[in-house]
Amino acid sequence: MSAVNLEKRRSFDQIAWNAMRYSGVLLIFLAFGHVLLQDVIVGVHRIDLDYVAMRWANWGWRMYDLFLLAFAFAHGMNGVRQVLSDFVHQERHMRAVNVALLVVWLVVTLMGAAAIFGGVRPVQ
Amino acid sequence: MQVHLKVFRFNPEIDRKPRYDRFDVQAEPTERVLDLLEMVKNYNDGTLAFRRSCAHGVCGSDAMRINGRNALACKVLLKDLNTDQVTVEPLLGMRVIKDLIVDMEPFFAHYRSVMPYLVNDEPLPEDGKERLQSPQEQERFEDTTKCILCAACTTSCPSFWASENYVGPAAIVNAHRFIYDSRDRAGAKRLAVLNQRMGVWACRTAFNCSEACPRDIQITRAIAEVKEALNR
Repeated sequence: MSAVNLEKRRSFDQIAWNAMRYSGVLLIFLAFGHVLLQDVIVGVHRIDLDYVAMRWANWGWRMYDLFLLAFAFAHGMNGVRQVLSDFVHQERHMRAVNVALLVVWLVVTLMGAAAIFGGVRPVQ
Repeated sequence: MQVHLKVFRFNPEIDRKPRYDRFDVQAEPTERVLDLLEMVKNYNDGTLAFRRSCAHGVCGSDAMRINGRNALACKVLLKDLNTDQVTVEPLLGMRVIKDLIVDMEPFFAHYRSVMPYLVNDEPLPEDGKERLQSPQEQERFEDTTKCILCAACTTSCPSFWASENYVGPAAIVNAHRFIYDSRDRAGAKRLAVLNQRMGVWACRTAFNCSEACPRDIQITRAIAEVKEALNR
């Protein structure tokens, strides 16, 4: 490779591109873990409010669910951003789209976090 | 064999919208799509406009859509199309000047933006001759030296269809050719050009470019290597 003195300034699109890959890899474990537990080991017909309360009695599971929500939603919103990028040609319009998507992600993730950490009624 | 040729026609000075003209042409299976177009131009309709120069797959002038796929008309044999129905259309994503001729200027503007030439302001070697490099160093960018700037890759790319501001596979290939050249000293400048929304990050890895390249350059791989250089 040519002797380049690369400035280590990463562009937003570079960070977003990498985030898409890293969150994708992470989701393989988080989503498959979720499916394995809820659909295979426990089974969807046995999931009720008591089960959720029991599961969320463990703070590790609450963190797991929060990570799953945050990364899956971020991955999805990043995908939406890429789709919109094909249609939004003005840079300043794209910046507005980025901010709007970030705000939506943040609000929904915070709502999810409030639900997860607020918990459900105690185990009977 | 009898070939039913359907050709995209549009003359913006006369036509309000494009149309397709049909010609029945007698040709040998070993003849090329370019031969069909030459026959039509010489014997049926002299107003048919298309680019051609070397006619041997080197100059890259006659890239067009042949039965929906980007290719050089001079390299596609009729027998390889496996049909007697041949549809010829101009490259997508660029303004049609006339019939099969498109405005290549946006394409070349992107090409120029990546500084597609060797930059090295360091003093010459002591013998005053060549800046030497090993065969291994040359091999690193050999594949991307093969580009003939036909635009088949860039105009097959969905990201380029979405926005002509996307620098496109051909420009990235030509940037790669110098970024990975051990003699070059302007890699950082090229990478700065490509480290933008409409640079390498607009690539969605569709692989259309690699499939369309008449020189079989592994374009998607080259783009990935430029991304790798940026992430290093």
